Amino acid sequence: MSTETTAGEPAAEHHDEWKPGEARAAFRQVTKDVAWVSEAPKPHKLWVALLGIALILFAIGVYSIYVLVTTGIGVWGNSNTVCWAWDITNFVWWIGIGHAGTLISAVLFLTRQQWRTSIARSAEAMTIFAVMCAGLFPLLHTGRPWLAWWMIPHPNDMGMWPQFRSPLMWDVFAVSTYMTTSILFWFLGLVPDLATYRDRCLARGQTVRGIIYGIVSLGWRGSARQWHRYERAYLILAGLSTPLVFSVHSVVSFDFATSQLPGWHTTIFPPYFVAGAIFSGFAMVLTLMLPARHLFNLKHIVKESHIEAMCKIMLATGSMVGLAYATEFFIAWYSGNMYEKFAFINRAFGPFWWSYFAMIFCNVVIPQAFWIKRVRTTPILVFVLCIFINIGMWFERFVIIATSLARSFLPAQWSYYHPTRYDIGLFVGTIGLFFTLFLLFFRYVPVIAISEVKGVMPEAHAGKKH
Amino acid sequence: MSTTEHHDDPVEPVLPEHGDLYGVLAEYDTPGELVEAARKVRDAGYTEFDCYSPFPVHGIDEAMGIKRTILPLLIFGGGFAGTVGGLFLEWYCNAYRWGWNISGKPTWSIPANIPIGFETTILLSVLTTFFGVWMLNKLPQVWHPFFRSDKFAKVTDDSFFIGIEAKDRRFDVEATEKLLKDAGALEIEKVYLDPDPAKKKLPKWIMAFIVSSTAFALVPLVIAAKARNSKSSEPHIHIFPDMDFQPKYKSDQAMDLFSDERENRGELDGTVSRDPASLKADEAFYYGLDNGAWITGFPKQLDIDQRLMDRGKSRFNIYCTPCHGYDGQGMGAVPTRVARGGGTWSVRDLTDNSKPPSHAVITMPNGQLFNTISNGYATMMGYAGQIPHRDRWAIVLYVRALERAHNASIDDVPADQQKGIR
Amino acid sequence: MSLTKTLHPDEKIKAGKLGKSLTKVGLGIAFVFLGISLVLGAMHPDGHMRRFLYAYVIGWSYIFSIAIGMLWLIILHHLVRGRWVTVVRRIAEAMAGAMPIIFIAGLGFILPLVFGYKDLYYWAHPDAHDPAINHTMLHKLGWLEPNFFAIRYVFYGVALSFLAHYFRKKSIEQDTTGDPKISETLRIASGPAMVLFALVTCFVAFDVLMSMSPKWYSTIYGVAFWGSGCVGAFAAFALLTLAIQRTGRLTRSVNPEHYHDMGKWMFSFTFFWAYTAFSQFMLQWYGNMPEETVFYKYRMFGEWQWVSIAVLVGFFAFPFVFLMSRWTKRIVPALVFFSVWQLVFHWLDLYWNVMPNYDWGTQFHEDTKLVLGPLTGNTAFHHVAFSAVDITVWIGLIGVFLIGVGRNLTGNLIPVKDPTLGLSLAHENQ
Repeated sequence: MSTETTAGEPAAEHHDEWKPGEARAAFRQVTKDVAWVSEAPKPHKLWVALLGIALILFAIGVYSIYVLVTTGIGVWGNSNTVCWAWDITNFVWWIGIGHAGTLISAVLFLTRQQWRTSIARSAEAMTIFAVMCAGLFPLLHTGRPWLAWWMIPHPNDMGMWPQFRSPLMWDVFAVSTYMTTSILFWFLGLVPDLATYRDRCLARGQTVRGIIYGIVSLGWRGSARQWHRYERAYLILAGLSTPLVFSVHSVVSFDFATSQLPGWHTTIFPPYFVAGAIFSGFAMVLTLMLPARHLFNLKHIVKESHIEAMCKIMLATGSMVGLAYATEFFIAWYSGNMYEKFAFINRAFGPFWWSYFAMIFCNVVIPQAFWIKRVRTTPILVFVLCIFINIGMWFERFVIIATSLARSFLPAQWSYYHPTRYDIGLFVGTIGLFFTLFLLFFRYVPVIAISEVKGVMPEAHAGKKH
Repeated sequence: MSTTEHHDDPVEPVLPEHGDLYGVLAEYDTPGELVEAARKVRDAGYTEFDCYSPFPVHGIDEAMGIKRTILPLLIFGGGFAGTVGGLFLEWYCNAYRWGWNISGKPTWSIPANIPIGFETTILLSVLTTFFGVWMLNKLPQVWHPFFRSDKFAKVTDDSFFIGIEAKDRRFDVEATEKLLKDAGALEIEKVYLDPDPAKKKLPKWIMAFIVSSTAFALVPLVIAAKARNSKSSEPHIHIFPDMDFQPKYKSDQAMDLFSDERENRGELDGTVSRDPASLKADEAFYYGLDNGAWITGFPKQLDIDQRLMDRGKSRFNIYCTPCHGYDGQGMGAVPTRVARGGGTWSVRDLTDNSKPPSHAVITMPNGQLFNTISNGYATMMGYAGQIPHRDRWAIVLYVRALERAHNASIDDVPADQQKGIR
Repeated sequence: MSLTKTLHPDEKIKAGKLGKSLTKVGLGIAFVFLGISLVLGAMHPDGHMRRFLYAYVIGWSYIFSIAIGMLWLIILHHLVRGRWVTVVRRIAEAMAGAMPIIFIAGLGFILPLVFGYKDLYYWAHPDAHDPAINHTMLHKLGWLEPNFFAIRYVFYGVALSFLAHYFRKKSIEQDTTGDPKISETLRIASGPAMVLFALVTCFVAFDVLMSMSPKWYSTIYGVAFWGSGCVGAFAAFALLTLAIQRTGRLTRSVNPEHYHDMGKWMFSFTFFWAYTAFSQFMLQWYGNMPEETVFYKYRMFGEWQWVSIAVLVGFFAFPFVFLMSRWTKRIVPALVFFSVWQLVFHWLDLYWNVMPNYDWGTQFHEDTKLVLGPLTGNTAFHHVAFSAVDITVWIGLIGVFLIGVGRNLTGNLIPVKDPTLGLSLAHENQ
C-alpha cells in the first residue's frame, strides 16, 4: 500500500490501528481549539484594540456618508468627465475581494482541495462583508439611495419599470443574487458548528447563549439521514456558486466592456476581471488570516502548507492578469483602432502613469516572488506582499476607470481627477466596517468549519475495515 | 423532581419518573465501528433508526441503505422556474409594459436578457436548495427526545450514536440492546419522553412573543393600506425632501423686499430693446393683425415663391409632424404611439373641411393660423420661441398648400394633364 | 472504503501491440481520406485547392485543440498535485505527445502559404496591401507576413512539442527508477510550463484562426479557442480510454469514478466555452462597433445563422442539460454518446469560426477589381455550402492524430511508480 498522500497535506500517517478513544480525543481537541476563541471570558487585548481602530475608521465612513447624503454627490471628486471614480473603483475592488471567499468555499470544494477546510469559513464571512461594503458604493452613487428600491420591479403609479437592457441593472441582480447566495451558503455551513456551540454552552450552564445558538442551529442533531441531504445541498450550492462567481464579476466587467470607451471595450474583460478578483481576494484572505492564526493560536489548523497553496493561486491568477494586460496591449495595436491605441499609450505614459506603473509593479512583478519557496513559507513576507497586491488591484480598477474617462474621445473634455476627503473618508469607512464585522465574526462565530475539519482528518476513517 | 418546588400548588399531580420509552441510544467509539454497527442494525431489519455523528461519516449512507435524496430534482425545477420567470419579467417590463427606445436597442432581444435570466436561475436554484434541504430534513425542530440524554450533547463534539426508535416494529428492548451491544457499543441508554404533559406545549411567553411580533409587523401594512384607500388634502409627507423645497422665489409670489410686495418686477420705465425687430411695429408680419382683424393674405415683405414653400415644408416637417403628421391630418408619431398604448391624444386635422367653420383650420384666416403657431392653442404650445417669424409664415403657406392638396378636385389639375389622372 | 488502493496484480498494463495497431489504423485512415480529399479538393469547382486548404485549417485546428487540451490537463495535474488523473495519465500523455506529428501535418497549409499561396489567408493576398480599401490593417501586415508567420509556427510547434515530450519522458523515467523526486521536479516545472503554454496557445489561436479575418479582433479569442478545444479533448480522452479498456487492458484500474471526472471536465468546459463565446458575442453585439460586429453580421444573417444556432444548441444547450446529471457521466453508453456528440460539434464550432471567411467580396476601384477579403459583401451571398472535402479532410487528419497517439502508446499504460497512483485508484466522487 502506498502511504504517500498528496494535495497539500503533509503526509498524514495513515494507520489502521486506533486505540480506543484515540480518535475521539482528536475530534474533541479540534472542537476545543476552535471554540475557545468565543468561550474565553475576556477577549484578547489586541482584539479589543483592533476593534477600536476599526470602529473609528467606520465612524469616519459614517460621517462621510452623512455629508454625502445631506449635500450631494458633489462632495466627491467626480466630475462630468470622470463621472465614475473612486466609488466604482472601490465597488469593483470590494466585490473582487469577496470572490476569493466563494472560490475557496465552492471551487476548491468541487476540485477536492482539502486544505480549504481550514479557511473556508472565514473566507465566506469575508465574502459577505466585502459584498456589503461593495454594495454601499453604487447605492450611494445613485445620489438618492432612499429611492434605490425603484430598481426592484414593482407596479407603480408612474407606470415605470426597470430597464433590463442596462448593464447596471444586471449588476443589481448579479450582486444581490451573490449576496443572498453567499449568506445562505455560509449559514448552511455554519449550522452544524452552531449546534456544537449550542451543546457546549448548555453543558457549561450558559442557558441564554445556549438558547440563541440553539435557535440559529435549527435543532441540528447530526443524523446520518440529515447529513446525507446536507452534503448534497452543500455540493449543489458549491456547484451553483461556481458559475455565479464567474457571472458576477463578468457582469461587473460588462459595466465597462459593453460601452464603446477605449480601454473599456474589450472582450477579454469578463475572464480577466474574474482572475483579477480571485487574485485580490486571496491576498485579502491572507491579509486577514495571517494575523488571525497568530492571534488565536490556530497555526496547527491553518497550516503553512495552506498558506503556500494560496500563494500559488495568487501566482497563477497574477500571471493570468499579466497575460491579460499583455493581450490587451497587443490587440490595441493589432486592432488598428487609433483611439484604442491612444488609450493604452496614455495609460502608461499619460498623466496617470504613476497609477499604471503602481499596478504593474504590484500585480505582475510582486507575485513573481511567490516562485520562491522561501518567500511562500515566510508568513511575514507573504503578509507584506499581500498588502502590495491589495493595493495593486485597487490601482488596476482605478487605472481602468479614471484614465479611460479622463482621456476619452473629445480632447475638449479631458480632465484630471482628484479625490476629495469624502472620497477617502468613505473608502476608509468601508475598511473600518469590514474589519469591525470581521472581528465580531471572529469572536462569536465558529471561525473554522469544525465538522468539515473533522471530516478530512485521518481519524475520520478510524476503525474502518478494508 | 421539579414538582417539589411548587409548594403552593394544591393539586400536585404525581408524575411517573419517566414518560413513554422513545428509543435506545448506543454510543460507538470510532466512525468505522459506527458504520459496521449501522450495517448490522439494517441487516436485522430495522427501519426507524438513525446514526448520529459530529461530521458526515464516509460510507454510512450505503451501510444504512439511505436512498439518494430527491433534492437535485427539486433544484432543477427551481432553476427552471428561475430562468422562465426571469426572462418573463424582463419581457413583461421592457417589451410589453414599457417599451422605451433606449439608444436604438431592440425592446426585446435574447442576448441582452441573458445576464439577468442567468442570475434569476441561480437565485431560485439557491433558494430551492437552501429551503429544500431544511424542508426535507424536517428542520428547524429545536427539540428532539434524544436531547433529553445528557450524553447525546456530545454528538456535536466527538461521539457517534445509533438511535433506534421504539416505534420500529422490530423493536424489543432486550433484543435491540443486545444487537447494539454485540455491534460494539460502548454504552447503551434508554431515552424516555418527558413525563410532564405541560412540557409538550409551547411556553406561553414564546407564544406571546410570536403573536405580538406578528401583530407589530402588520402595522406598516395597515398604514399603507389605509393611505391607499383614503383621500387627503394634506401635502405629501416629505421624508427625504430631495429638492422639493428650495430657497428661491417662483413667479407671482409675495416678497417683502419691495414696497409693492411683488416678487415679479416689470420693465422699468423707458426700457428700450436692443433688437429693432422686437419693436414689432409691423403688426401684420409680427402678429398677423391688421387693425385688430386677422389678415387673410400674407405680409407684404414675403415673396410667395417656391423657396418659401420649400422652407415651409422643411419647418413643418421638423416642428409640426410629431403631432400633425406629414400630411397634416393629425396622425403623427405621438398620437399613433399613444393610441397604441390605449390612450387618446387628439390632434386637429389641419385639412379637414367637414367641420363647421368655427372649428376648421381650413377656414381660419392666415393671421389667425400664424397666431396659433406663435402662441399655441389648447394643449398645443406656442412655437414663438423656436421658430422665427418668417418661418412661421412659411409654415402657414405650406399648411395652406396641404389643405389645398387634400381637398383638391380634378378641376385643380391643369387641363392638359387631367386625362392621365382619370 | 480505504484512502488508497494498490494496483491489481493481474491488471494488464502493458500496451503491447496496441500502439502499433492504432498507428496502423491511423495511417490507413490518413492515407485513404487525405487521398480522397486531395482528389475531391482538386475537383472542387472553386479551384486552386482552396476548399481543401480551408478544410485543412479546420481539421488541423481540430486535432491541435485536442492535443492542447490534454497537454493542459497534464500540466494542471502536476501543478495542483491532482489525483484522479494519475491512473489514466499515460493516455493523456500519449494524446498530447502527438504534438510533433500534428505540427508536421500543419505544414500542409503552412508550406503553400510560404510558397506564395494567396487565397487562404487574405493578408497574404496582394490586395491586402492596398491602402484604398485596407488602411486599417496596413500596420499589421508586417506581423501577418507569410515568412514571419511560418517562423512563429515553427516556434509554437517546437515549444509545445517540447512541453509534451518533457512531461511524458519524465513520467516514463519514473516507471523504471521509481524516484518520487521526479514528481516533485515535474511539479516545479509545471508552473513555468503553464505560462509558456498559455502564451503559445493564445497566439496560435490569434495567428491560425483569428487572422482568417484579419481586420477583426477579439482579446478573448485565444481563451475561447482553448475552452472549445478542452471540450473536444476530454471527449476524446474518455473515448480513447474506453477503447483501450475494450482491448482488455486497464479493466481493473479505470472505473466509472474516473469517467465521471472526465465527464465533469467535459461538462465544465462546455459551460466555460459557452461563457467565453457569450462574452465575446455579448460585448461586440452590445458595443455595436462596425469593425467588430462584422464577425457576427456574417454569422447571424443569411444561411450561416442556422449553423450558429446549431452550434449554440448542439455544442452547449443540449449537452449541458444532460451532462448535468451524474448518470450521463457514469453510464458508458451515455458517456460515449455525449463524447461523440461533443467531438462532432467541436468540429462544427471550428467550422463556424473558419468557413464564413471563405467567400471573399470584390469591388471595382478606379477600374481595377480589388479583392476585399473575407466578411464583405451582402450576407445573402455567403453560403454555407457544405462540401464532402470538409468532412474527408477532417477524418483524414483524425487519422494523423491517431498515428501520433499510437506512436506514444508503448510500455506501461499506467505510471506504476507514481506516488499518487494509490489515491487515483481509490478515487471516489461524492
